[in-house]
Amino acid sequence: MSAPAAALELRVPAPTLARCFVRCLFLQAAWNRRGMQNLGFAYAIDPALKALYPDPARRRQALSRHLGFFNCHPYAAAAILGGAIHHEERVAAGSERDATPVVYKATLQGPLAAIGDGFFWTALRPFFGALAALGALLAGWPGVVASLTIYNAIHLTLRIGLFRAGYREGDAVVGAIARLSLPVVADRLRLAGATVCGLAAAVVVARPFGAEAAPLLARAAAAVAAVAGYLALARGARLFPATYAALAAGFGAALLAGRLHGSL
Amino acid sequence: MVSYLALGLVAGLAAVERKGFLQAMLSRPIALGPLAGLAVGDAAGGLFVGAPLELLWLGAVNLGAAVPVHEALGTAAIAAGTVLALRGVEGAGLASPALLPAVAVLAVALCAPLALIGRRADRLVERLNERLHARAEAELAAGDADRAARVNLYGLGLPFAIAFVLAPLGAALAATLIPPLVARLPAALPPLAVGWAAFAGFACAAGAKALRAARVRRHYLGAFAAGVAALAILAALKVGR
Repeated sequence: MSAPAAALELRVPAPTLARCFVRCLFLQAAWNRRGMQNLGFAYAIDPALKALYPDPARRRQALSRHLGFFNCHPYAAAAILGGAIHHEERVAAGSERDATPVVYKATLQGPLAAIGDGFFWTALRPFFGALAALGALLAGWPGVVASLTIYNAIHLTLRIGLFRAGYREGDAVVGAIARLSLPVVADRLRLAGATVCGLAAAVVVARPFGAEAAPLLARAAAAVAAVAGYLALARGARLFPATYAALAAGFGAALLAGRLHGSL
Repeated sequence: MVSYLALGLVAGLAAVERKGFLQAMLSRPIALGPLAGLAVGDAAGGLFVGAPLELLWLGAVNLGAAVPVHEALGTAAIAAGTVLALRGVEGAGLASPALLPAVAVLAVALCAPLALIGRRADRLVERLNERLHARAEAELAAGDADRAARVNLYGLGLPFAIAFVLAPLGAALAATLIPPLVARLPAALPPLAVGWAAFAGFACAAGAKALRAARVRRHYLGAFAAGVAALAILAALKVGR
């Protein structure tokens, strides 16, 4: 599909590529039910189109094709943006058809959305969220800062790397992403995240966090909520009602214990 | 008033960061809790509620077209509500180690529904953004590609405005209702603190449940049991010395 890069007469300058990447961070600014991330994608790719199509009519035509439906994971979409610019360079040089960038986007958005959701949203981010929470319980704000710094170092490295891989390799970006084995890493991160949640529960049980008036009862309530809460949620209990039930059960148990044993 | 404005600003920016720009976890409860607390004068109080809220809403993610609860809005109101209500209670002369968890659990009970209201607002925003789509097409048809591209940025305004208004309202509700309630029922402080402990334990369970994979249950319960045993041994050694 792609012409050799050396044969291209038109290339997007590096500062313009950087602008496109920065604009890609606004991909979901105007997420809508009709075109989903279409406005964000058009906004992100516009500086490249401006560089490639000096003729205003051709630029409008190019921007119009990027206003079509688009939806992907916001991080993984960087690869598609890079790849779409790769193909637009070839369209502008006359070596590819106008529809090629659109076909490229339509082909990749689904698979990359699945990979992005599965890796970033349901594994990497929850893992670092749980780690930051455990860090906060054990060490206060330095634990939070450390966890979020590591998360963003990984996230931004991958986001920039995906954009560059998409731009350089075009269709071959699929192979580059497959080599990362993200689903395997995601599965390990989820299990590690569950372990971190378990450790956080242990810390909550071990430290009464202000419940010094009834430390044993507070510990027992936290332990029961940590185990019974998990089992209830695993059986399909809904999060909000179950949260209120846990609050009420802890409060009610403490009241009852106070009445029966005079411990409160 | 300045505190509420600062809180509105923090909550509005978090609502933008959450979906419209960057997504670097700055709007997650663990980061936003201390920031919202700081906006009203006490970052440590915000961090106290931020950790369990992060675990509670660990599964609040934007998968495809699904709209999750607005964890940022809920967190901003709960964290700031806790700090402001605590200040009100302490101002009334009440002092107890159970005060912070007791006030926090009441703030959670009062303000958590804002996360559901925020989800409804998100759905409304998505529908209203269809007008931006039509506007971009109109600008392009009129021959102005620059303006057509820039229409995307207009989508940041409404999520900011909604959080700017609702988060301070939620915090104000907590700051108004909680101090008189606690002042009238000081005996309820220890049971409320136990309620907080139960909430924190449950939040850990909710976090583990959000991590959907085979063998999650074994890892969660195993780590919990091992962690409790290790901490109990450490405590026993400490007492032995």
